[in-house]
Amino acid sequence: MNGTIEVQNLKKHIGEKVILGGFDLVVPSGSIVALFGPNGCGKTTFMQILSRLVMADSGQSIIHGFNKRKFSYISQQYRETLLPWKTNLENIAFPLVLAGEDQEIIKKKVSEIVELFESPIPMNGYPYQLSGGEQQILVCMRALITRPEVICIDEAFSALDYENGLRLRMHLQTYWMKYHPTILAITHNPEEAVHLAERILVLSKNPMRVIASVDNTLPYPRTIDTIKSELFHKVKDQVLSAFVRVTHV
Amino acid sequence: MKNIAIGITIFLLLWALILIFGIIDTFFLPTPLQVLTSLKNLFVSGKLIQDTAMTLARVGASLLIALGVGVPTGLLLGRFEKMYHSVEFIIDFFRSTPATALFPLFLVVFGIGEISKVALASFAATLIVIFNTAYGVMHAPKYRRVTAELLGATHRQIFWHVIIRESLPQLLVGIRNAVSWVLAVVVVTEMFIGTNTGLGRRIIDSSITYDISGMYASILVVGLIGYLLNALLLLIHKRYVHW
Repeated sequence: MNGTIEVQNLKKHIGEKVILGGFDLVVPSGSIVALFGPNGCGKTTFMQILSRLVMADSGQSIIHGFNKRKFSYISQQYRETLLPWKTNLENIAFPLVLAGEDQEIIKKKVSEIVELFESPIPMNGYPYQLSGGEQQILVCMRALITRPEVICIDEAFSALDYENGLRLRMHLQTYWMKYHPTILAITHNPEEAVHLAERILVLSKNPMRVIASVDNTLPYPRTIDTIKSELFHKVKDQVLSAFVRVTHV
Repeated sequence: MKNIAIGITIFLLLWALILIFGIIDTFFLPTPLQVLTSLKNLFVSGKLIQDTAMTLARVGASLLIALGVGVPTGLLLGRFEKMYHSVEFIIDFFRSTPATALFPLFLVVFGIGEISKVALASFAATLIVIFNTAYGVMHAPKYRRVTAELLGATHRQIFWHVIIRESLPQLLVGIRNAVSWVLAVVVVTEMFIGTNTGLGRRIIDSSITYDISGMYASILVVGLIGYLLNALLLLIHKRYVHW
């Protein structure tokens, strides 16, 4: 089905080090899956292969019905990916300009996304005038404006303070509930994983493998109350127990 | 503005000290008042205006050529680094050679008229513009290009939306450099043969006829042109390359 991510026997080594030694993964169309694992386990390399930034040695990574314009990749280097010579508005609208959309449609879509994010960011300012949190919000708005069907998130919230991280997760959830894209999110924050995902895959390193799959049936929208709930903590405990088994903390 | 006033005061003070202690004969270094009077007279008679206009026209033409040739070439060479490295030696060699040393050669090739002057000045400036533009493109961080690619940009769009903008700060440094060079080359070549107008011509003529105040007045104008052009470019830099 379109939007399904299917990875089979993916192999990649960098120098002597085996990053991926036959990695398998399926993310069903329209679902949210989180990858939770230790630092340096190869999550980012995997994402780069999936986004076609890096070539794998062998194996397959397919996004069914892949369309460059319906795919968004949100990385942790938000500051560097904004263009300082464009205003905040022009940065958000950039993917639409690249796609050759006309001004009317761009205007409409920008106001839709600004509304969704309830963003107080001044649109005529420049990215370098914003705080880190605001910059990441801008990057997310840019990633979502094309109404992507597949979104890959690589620790996009890790550099943010708790409040902004939480806010961004809420916005992403709202977007997902409205349009149901396939979302694959890498994180090293268990709360983030359990907040967003329907399924959390716990990873080991050297090479990267899925060592546990935790299903998370908490209903959406997941609010602050959900995060405080007992069930939330139960799922989080399951994730952490699996994590402790690989990392031997 | 305040700093400029302080600078001028120090400059005049040094000038006065040299005169008071007789370090240089007053025949060779007139008082500031004499120079300013001479400047006023030359200005009123219209001769200085004509020479200034002529020098500015040569500087302008040379800069336009340097930008017209240098910017596209620099962008292209910066984009295709292998190409840049294969011509790097030529650029570096001629960039390091004082352009004025090549003037006799240019006289032989382009004749003794206007063309050889503008050709030499634009030759020197083009190399500086090429070098700086290419450098700006090559040394810009790559992640913005990767981002644009991920957002679905074509090669042409990446070039227009990212690469050209990335090269701007270094390009402006290059242009300021080029302006200094062009002014120097134009004034020096005016001192040689092939023209009766221009500030360089006026400086050398005043020197030969011992119109020392007139010489200083002309030098002052040249300095002022250089200073103002530089200030203008700085203003453009701050206004349009704000990041």
